[in-house]
Formats: sequence, structure tokens, C-alpha cells
Amino acid sequence: MFVQRRTKRGILASATLAVSALAFTAIPAQAFNVHTVDGVNSNTIKLGITIPLTGSAAPGYSKIPSAMTAYFNYVNDNGGVYGRKISLVVKDDAYLPTLAVAKTNELILKDKVFAVVGALGTANHLAVAKSVNLGRRGIPDLFLNTGFSNFADAKKYPTTFSLFPSYVMEAKIMGQYLKENFAGKKLGLIYQADDFGTDALAGFKQAGTTFDVKVSYASGSQSAQTAAGWVSKLKAAGAEVVVMFGVTTASGAALATSAALGYKAQWILGSVGGDATTLKAVGVPAVVLTGAIGASFLPAPTDLTDEYVKFFQGINTKYNGGAVFDNNVLVAMNTAMMTVQALRAAGANPTRAGLIAALESKGSTFASASFSPINYAKGNHVGYNSYWFGAYNSAGELKPVGGSYSLYTTDSGAGAVVKSASKRPALPLNGLPSN
Amino acid sequence: MRKKISLLAVSALASIAFTAMPTVARAADPACATVSFVTTCQGATSDGAAYVMQVPANFNGTLMLYSHGYRYPVDIPAGIPVVGGYKVVKLPQQGPDAVVIGTLLGKGYAVAGSAFPIQGWNAGAGVAADVELIGLFRKQFPATKKVAAWGSSLGGFITQALAEQHPELIDAAAPMCPAIGSVEAELTMAGDVLWGMKTFFDPTIKAHNYSAGAAGYGEAMGDLVKVFTVLGKLQGAIASGVWPDSSGPAGTALASIPPRSALLMVGLLAGLPTQSAHFDSTSGPGSPNTAAYTSFALAASPALAILENVANAAVLGVMATYDVEIQSGGAVFDNSKTDYTARVSSDAAVFNAALSGSDAIGGMLSFLNPANPAAPRWSADAAAVTKMRALTSHTGKINVPTVTLASVADPVTPAGNAQWLADKYAAQYAAEKANALHEFNFTHEYIAPKKNLITIWAPTPSTYTKFTATGAPDTTTPAANGTNHCNYTDAQMLVVADLVGTAATTGVLKSGGPLTTLVRKAKGLTLDPGFRAPLLKFYNEEL
Repeated sequence: MFVQRRTKRGILASATLAVSALAFTAIPAQAFNVHTVDGVNSNTIKLGITIPLTGSAAPGYSKIPSAMTAYFNYVNDNGGVYGRKISLVVKDDAYLPTLAVAKTNELILKDKVFAVVGALGTANHLAVAKSVNLGRRGIPDLFLNTGFSNFADAKKYPTTFSLFPSYVMEAKIMGQYLKENFAGKKLGLIYQADDFGTDALAGFKQAGTTFDVKVSYASGSQSAQTAAGWVSKLKAAGAEVVVMFGVTTASGAALATSAALGYKAQWILGSVGGDATTLKAVGVPAVVLTGAIGASFLPAPTDLTDEYVKFFQGINTKYNGGAVFDNNVLVAMNTAMMTVQALRAAGANPTRAGLIAALESKGSTFASASFSPINYAKGNHVGYNSYWFGAYNSAGELKPVGGSYSLYTTDSGAGAVVKSASKRPALPLNGLPSN
Repeated sequence: MRKKISLLAVSALASIAFTAMPTVARAADPACATVSFVTTCQGATSDGAAYVMQVPANFNGTLMLYSHGYRYPVDIPAGIPVVGGYKVVKLPQQGPDAVVIGTLLGKGYAVAGSAFPIQGWNAGAGVAADVELIGLFRKQFPATKKVAAWGSSLGGFITQALAEQHPELIDAAAPMCPAIGSVEAELTMAGDVLWGMKTFFDPTIKAHNYSAGAAGYGEAMGDLVKVFTVLGKLQGAIASGVWPDSSGPAGTALASIPPRSALLMVGLLAGLPTQSAHFDSTSGPGSPNTAAYTSFALAASPALAILENVANAAVLGVMATYDVEIQSGGAVFDNSKTDYTARVSSDAAVFNAALSGSDAIGGMLSFLNPANPAAPRWSADAAAVTKMRALTSHTGKINVPTVTLASVADPVTPAGNAQWLADKYAAQYAAEKANALHEFNFTHEYIAPKKNLITIWAPTPSTYTKFTATGAPDTTTPAANGTNHCNYTDAQMLVVADLVGTAATTGVLKSGGPLTTLVRKAKGLTLDPGFRAPLLKFYNEEL
């Protein structure tokens, strides 16, 4: 019944060798730059991103793709990556998990991107990991815009590379900061009731932080009305210092509502919900933000003494239409710069497996705006692991507490929180990686 | 000439295929007549299964043997919503629909199918009827050279069982929207749905351990009424946020959690798809930048998708449970040890917002805890389970070139069925390859194993929910591609027929460009090797 294919392996091997020898002598070397990897041809490397361009999470995050594209265009104007220009295919996922799955599928099956980069949102990316199976397909999943700790699990997500410090790390570091600066004060916590918040609770527990009152909210439920309920609970418990570990729209609702209700506390904003520009955009007056503490792993976007910030601001002016330069733009351009280094590290004829191997072997040496070291290694896909704290001034600028960046570092496990003296690599000449 | 025959064949078919069986003596020899170049024979197998065979004048030598899907084993009284008035009939079915049958006849294929001797979950009897029918067909039409078996739903189960048990009788197989593996896997999904609906929304639903005789029939029919009634109430509850008045203890204990979240939880713990015929869990009304859009897409749409899928699956769940309990002699569903928290862990992360956050998820799972007397678990009868497990099941071995077709959001036989077969075959192929390499060490001749399985998926569009001018979801549109049970276009089914028919003739499945082109032309199908459907929850797959 079966028709079977028979191959004389020995004959085949000899024939292949013979053909190879003939071909390589008869045809000039440059003819062999034909590349058959999805998303890569002789002129272009095609990357993809899904991100909320519409919907509740669009304010702030919608700026990321254009900022990434701006940096890529700068690189393209300066020779690209081994002669190939980088293009970024952008899909709107509206911050909806099912749409993120559909759009990621489109990126892979229709647009045939080489890699996915900068995907945003914990629930969204969990849905993508489960349904699209980037790991099983061997598709690089670079530099996520989420700090959910599990994504750094290289066994479970073999092609995924986290970049942000995990939310566990952030909470541990915040716990240490609270211990050092607000011992004896009544503490309150607002957190998102999902994996984002679960990570935070794990981190605070690890740090030994005890809150007098904890308020959770379901993702998407944040509004002035729900925030009034949070404030009421915080007030009733007499919370003097409140950690806001939520998205920007939740931070905005909490800050604006507490101001309206006359509730005064020392606010400490997590990195996800602390972008001043976005807070202003969602209706938080600068005066309300003044004096709040924020945490960040990148320099303040207003810090023109920082060589990376200064360089990226220049790119923003020339290639991004002079968009308001905030944390989102800084994160995006830094991610783009990381991406270029990853592509360069993968060599002149990149493959997906080669890109992943290159990140594991060389990623820790990449230049990056963050003060944090990058921890990539074989089997280790943890990116940054450090934070510094600043206070917002009346202009909404985050200024380092104590006048200079003081870095705390830790891990997502039981490791201690320690001060870090890590030195970041200098900005590559003209901001163009040459690794 | 061929086109003319095709048209005539459709015309001939229309006059026979879906009308009541004429009086046919149940004799060994069928009654045959030739109309418009198509010879139609009708008869009954030795165990009383009515059958029909149709052979065109330009018969190419290949028979397409079709196995139909699940038919309720008992009459359903008028007045029961959706399925009321159903009568058990034994109409033979030789293909999925008239157009497909006519097209196959036009291409020179013969078609045949029976009604099987009994209705309900009848895989064993179905295989026996198919085996006999192949013999009868070959006897009647000696020019027959090859046989391709195909079928839908339970018919897909029968087809795979036939291919496993009797590879000597068929040359290729194509289970479409199939149940695969075992009836236990399917009934676990049904039991989880019904237990969840009972526990959250109507404790008077029985849904298992039906009484013997007429009392049990009454209980099952009563459950159909109750399930549809509570689904109607839930439609309103999703909008109002108020639990149905039938909810019992859950409605009180979980009142602070929207009932839409509880409904979604039922769907997730059972493994129902979160997209349905009209709800994509992605779209909202109006502008995407409005709160109404986000809240509908994020929170309401997944619950409405589950509602629509439960409505599609519940009847079959009740009837199949009732049916298999009768066959097995007692309760067969057992969730006394099911860890629902582990079951939904990854889904809960993805649908966290729709489930109203981790605290609400914890609250619902706590209510479903086995220790909660308000949520009693069900235990099966051990002897009945033994009997159920003795019913026809699959090993997953692929013996003949096989093509499967599965919709990614099929609520009755989820795509995980086809995935199970694909996984089994991946292991089989790896073993065959290892064996071939081993043999090479001795013979120095590498005989590559043949790829014998094509899995075709029908995916859903990125977005498809439609809204009326007032912003209400429009459920009058046709079910979206990739949703509902066995919801395929004729073009999609004909791709499967083409592949399996050709494979039966040539012994090999199409591959490469010709395969890709064929599938692409049918529209709404993909061969994406990277796609992986979640297995049925029965298998406790870690995701």
C-alpha cells in the first residue's frame, strides 16, 4: 500500500559535495547572499510589534512604535544593519488579549516578520505565548514591554527576552526604599488584581514589607468612581505613604481623586504608572504629582546631561516629528537600539536561532540607556535588574532623590536588595552600534 | 461532459439524499436505479443500517465512504427550545451536503453512507456498518479500486476508528470536525459545562446520573428546558450584572462578582472556546477609543461567546451524557478530584479582566472547592466507567494517509481533538524516522518514512463581531469562519475530499506547493504547522 521514498545516502552525499564544489568555483561569492529566512531578504529585515494604538491603554503606549521606527530610520539612513534596512510592522492590539493573539498571528503568517519586538502587556503576551507559541515556532520575542517575572523563564519561553526589571524586583526594591525612608509610617498599597499585582505582592513579601491597607482593582475597572472607593479605604486606614503599583490610568485616577477629596499622602509610583507626560494627558495636574516619588530603570527623560537622553532627543526631533519626549519614547528608542545590536550580533546572514544565540552570548555587553546591567546569558533571559528613585518636581520632572542616580539592584527570587555601582557602556559613536 | 454529469448528479441527488427513505426491503441485495448518469442503490446492512450508494457513469474507481455525525438517540418533545420535535430517523447519509455529494459524483467518485443501525454514541456499530457497507459496495460495483473514508464529528471518530481497526479495507481517511480519542474526553467537557451551569446558575439541573427508564428520559428532557431557560436569563444578567434568580447559593455568595465572569469561568474550566459564531472577544461597538468599546470587547464579549457556545454544546452535552449513561449503566462523569484551579490557571491570567480580577477569580474557585457543600462534586459509578472505557476508542495510530479538518473555535468537538491526533502522529513519525535511521546502519539504505497526516485548521478572522446602529451586537449574521460545529463551506470540505480522494488513489498525500495552493484557494483554512490547539481539559495539558 505504501509508496516509499528510497535514497542512497552515500550517493546523495557525494553528489551534494560534487555540486557544491562546482557551484562555488563557478559563481562569484556575492551571489550567495540570498537569504531565505522569513522577514529577511537582501535589502530588509522585517520586525513586528503589537501594541495598543487605540483603547484604554493607548495614551502613552501608542507613542512607542513611532519612536522605535524613528531610531530604525536613523540607523537605516546610516547604512542599516549589514546593509539591510530595518522595517517595523505595527499592529494595534487595543490592549485586548484575543486581539493580540490575532495580530501576532498576522505578523507571523501574513507579514512574515523575522522577530517580534517590544510586545506590550502581561495578559496580552501570556495569551500570545499560549496561543501563538512563539517559542515552539522558534520566533525571537525580544525586549518585552512588561516586567512580569515569568517571561524571563527561558525554559518556558525559550525565545522570549525580558528587558524591564521584573515587577518582583521592583517591589523588592521599593520595599527596601520604604524601610530606609518611611519606617514607622502607615503604609498603603494599590495594586492591579492580576499577574502584574501578583508579582508585586510576591516582591513586597520577599522584602518583608507589611502594608496597613491593601486595595486591589481589576484591570480595566479603574475610573474616578472606583478610585473614590480606593481613597476611602486608604483614608479609613490612615495610610500616610501609598504605593501605587498599577497602570498609568489607575495612577491618574488615584492621584486626581485623592486631590479632589482632600486626601494627602506620600505617593510612591511604580514605573508602569509613573510617566509624568501620560499622567498629565489623562488629567492629573502637575501640582498633584509634585512631591510624589517615582522609580525608574532609565535616566529621567528630561535629563539632558545624560548622553543617551540627549542623543535620543535629537533623534526624536529629526525623525519623530518632535513628539513630546517622555519615558515611552525613551523606552522605545532604547529598545530599538538594543534590537539593532541584537541583529548585528546575529551576523551578516541572521537566522532566528542565531539571533537568540547571539543575545544569550553577547546581550550582556550591549550599550543601553539603563543604568542597570543586562543579565542575558545562556539559559538566562533576565534583562535589567535595577531601579533608582526620584521625586517629581512642579514641572513633572523626575529628579533623583539626593541629587544623583542611586541604583538598587536585586533578583526575582530571595536575593538581597543591594546598592549597585554598575557602570553602563558608553553611547556608541553617533548612537550607531558597531558591535 | 464531466460538468454536465456533475450538474445532473446534483439534480439526481436532490431527489434522493434528504428525503425519507422509500420502502426498501432489507435484503442482501440493494434496490438500484439509474437516473441522469448516476446509479443509486439503497438497502440495509445485516444489522439494519439503511444505506445509500451512488455511482456516476464516469466512476473513477474510488469510493468516498461517509460517516455521519451524532444524532440524538431518542425523540425530543415539541416545546423544548431549539431541538423540540426531533424524531429519531434512520436516513442514510452519503456525504456532508448535497453540493459536495454532487460535486464528487461529477468528478467520478462514488459516494456511500449509512444511517448506522442505532443512533446516539454508536462508534462500535458505526465501524461495523461501514465495514459491511464497503463489502456490499465492492460486491455491487466490482470496478471499485480504492476506498476513502471520511466523516464529520462522531462520523470523524468512526472514520478514525475504521482506519485504525481495518486499514486493509480503506486507502485514506479524513475525519472532519472530529471527536478523537475517547468518548470519556468528550463527556468530561460536557460534564464540566453542565456541572458549572448547575453549580453557579441553577442547582436543580441534574445533568448526570439519570434514573433508569422513563424517569431518566424525563430528567434529561427537563435538563434541556432548564439549560435553555438559564441561558436566556444569563443573556439578561450579562447586561444587568445581576445573577439569575435561579442561581441558588452561588448567586448570594458571589453576588459582588458579575455573573458574566462566572459564566466565563464555566467556559474556561470546561475548555470551551472563547470565540463563538458572533462574538470574537475582540470587538466593541463604536470607536475603539471609547470606554464602551473596551468594556464590551474585554469583559462582555468573552462571556457572550461562552453563552453562545454553551447554547450550541449544551444539548449535545445533555443528550450524550444521558445516552452513554444508558449504555454504561450508570454515572460516568466524575469531577470529585478535578483541580479546577490548576485547570484555569493560564486562562485566568489571559482573561483576568473579563473574570473581574484575581480576587474575583479566587472567590469563584473557592466556591467551586470540593469542600464547599454548596458546590457538591459528582462521582461516577466505577462499573459504568469500566463499561464506558470499553466503548470504541482510538490509539491515535495513523495507518493510512489521513487528513483532518478542525475549526479553532468549535464548541462541540474542539480543535484539541485534531491536535491530539497530530501529537500522536508526531510521536509515531519520530519513531518511524528513528527506526529508518536504525535500519540504515545495517542496510546502508535510508528509506524515509512517508508523511501520512495533514492537519488543516479553520481559523477565526481577527475581528468579526457586528453591531447594529444602536450598538447592540448583531447575531443575525452567518457564523464566522472557524466557529460553530462543523461549520465549513463546500469549498473547504471539497479540499478535504480532493486530498483524501487523491491520496486513496495514489497512496500519498499531496504536499508542498500543490497542497498549499489547494488549501489557500478554499479560503479560510490554514496549514500553519506552528499552530497548536489546546488539548481537551480531560488530558490535563500544562500550558
